[in-house]
Amino acid sequence: MARRGSNTLFFAGLLGLSLPVLFLIFFPLGRLVTAPTFEDLVHAIREADVQAALLRSLLTALGAALVSLVFGTPLAYLLSRRDFPGKKLVEGLIDLPIMIPHPVIGIAILGLATRDTVFGRILEWMGIQVMGTYAGIVAVLTFVGLPFFLNTAKAAFESVPERLEHVSMGLGAGSLSTFFRVTLPLSWRGIVLGMVMCTARAISEFGAVIVVAYHPMLAPVLIYERFTAYGLKYSQPVAVWLIVISVILFVAMRFLSRPVRQW
Amino acid sequence: MLKIEGLTVEVPGFVLRDVNLEIAKGEFFAIMGPTGSGKSLLVEAITGLLPSNMLDFEGSIWRNGKEITHLPPNRRNIGILYQDVALFPHMTVEQNISYGLRYCKGNGANAQKRFQFFVKRFDLGHILHRYPARISGGERQRVALARVLVLDPDVVLLDEPISGLDPLFQGDIRRLLRQLHSELGITFVMVSHDFEEVMYLAQKGAVIHQGQVVQQAQIDEIFNRPASTFVARFVGAKNVFKVRFENGLAYIGSTSVRIADACLVPDFDHIVIRPEKIVPVLDMPDIRTGLENMFWGKVLEMSYCNFSVHLKIQKDETIFRAVWPEIYVRKMGLHVGKKVGFAFNKADVSTFREAK
Repeated sequence: MARRGSNTLFFAGLLGLSLPVLFLIFFPLGRLVTAPTFEDLVHAIREADVQAALLRSLLTALGAALVSLVFGTPLAYLLSRRDFPGKKLVEGLIDLPIMIPHPVIGIAILGLATRDTVFGRILEWMGIQVMGTYAGIVAVLTFVGLPFFLNTAKAAFESVPERLEHVSMGLGAGSLSTFFRVTLPLSWRGIVLGMVMCTARAISEFGAVIVVAYHPMLAPVLIYERFTAYGLKYSQPVAVWLIVISVILFVAMRFLSRPVRQW
Repeated sequence: MLKIEGLTVEVPGFVLRDVNLEIAKGEFFAIMGPTGSGKSLLVEAITGLLPSNMLDFEGSIWRNGKEITHLPPNRRNIGILYQDVALFPHMTVEQNISYGLRYCKGNGANAQKRFQFFVKRFDLGHILHRYPARISGGERQRVALARVLVLDPDVVLLDEPISGLDPLFQGDIRRLLRQLHSELGITFVMVSHDFEEVMYLAQKGAVIHQGQVVQQAQIDEIFNRPASTFVARFVGAKNVFKVRFENGLAYIGSTSVRIADACLVPDFDHIVIRPEKIVPVLDMPDIRTGLENMFWGKVLEMSYCNFSVHLKIQKDETIFRAVWPEIYVRKMGLHVGKKVGFAFNKADVSTFREAK
């Protein structure tokens, strides 16, 4: 009986200490969402600037997810299946964008793309500009979103037993065929989830974007601009619409990460 | 058929050293050894699926006289059946069985015939459209076997094919493997740590210990004439004694044991007697068993297992282990501490020299 009582007390304590965290997450967002009136929201979404910024945010974030898919999938697969010298270092580097301040990412990308570097000269020769362009925006969004894609895709590949791939090869399939017939059908859900996480992270990016491209303006930059120029009231409706898009992505993420059905 | 020459594979913390094996066409060969002995690494080397952290590889592997050491796994024509069967969970039984058919070159015309043959042979027709999660353990094993055999591989590797199964299906799969071997003459190489399974299925085999082949022979020979203390213990020959030979007798301390002349090999220093070869003697003065070695001892320990009794019998300073039917033990009224007569034939005593 005494044991049951101490358990109840323990869990009550846990709940009590959890409340400030829940308060910190829900109340500012709840206040933000409920602050604008319905008319404010309708008015905001009818504005061409708002529509363009939201669409730009969504498309550039999806672009970053697509780049992550094309170039991140091979790396995620390699990391999940092979041991090689320096693997831990590579895994550490992948997580670096999560830790470093985001304006620094923007500055780093810009620094690399200047004419002083070989890479910058190659970009110039290819006619690609970073400053104030979609290419620059997608580059920084990929930079910040890639760790989320890589880690999720790697976990998805790791969840596929390597033995199935061995069996496939024993049955005559080559590595590529095995990847597309066995590994990918069993891990695509995790890869799509990785893309959604990458998109979600990219769509909310502000610090790196504002360094690389104030224009074309993304939604977070528009919110910031309205806040500094007109105040809180004018920035809130746009912020709510950005939250709506993020919630849709979040729901999609939860849907895709639900337990896989038994075949 | 399959030949392995001087194979050495090193991975972090383990070395498979200088393995030489020769497996004839149509043979049922067993690779035996306890967990961690290197069996799996040997299988990986044969199939070409070595771990990426491998440090060293030497030696060669040949199939039908053709070197396959550096061929990729998909071009070795060696089928493998794992203990956990590893069916593709996202494919139906039919898709699983026909998975490898598209990679078969030159014999595509026969593919459909073979598919139908094995579906019928393994009685899988009624589950072709089901997914692996929806079929029984025995059916899964049969599907996995059909998936391999439909490709008509030169060699089929069986990685502990029975031990992981529900005991209900073990007998079925064992019988099926034996029938397949005798009917179709398939070359099977089975990895196992279960010597009973090996006795039932295989003709020849090799025992691996700490990455080295310690004995390679006919299964009967490994069973009855183990070449080291390790092999003897592995195959359940529990009576292993260090001895000295004098005047054609082997002495375990003061106990003398008669052995066959053929076993009197200079330098040999151990004898082995299987516990099943030691029989009870009901009344010592009246024995007419014709067994050359007969002793009195005292029962030290008795344990019951599957209608048999495992006994430890002390004769002077030596402890013999015997396995007797429970019904005999009951009739004799045996109990711990009771004096008992026991005997064994000199032909059932084997000898070996323990490697340093």
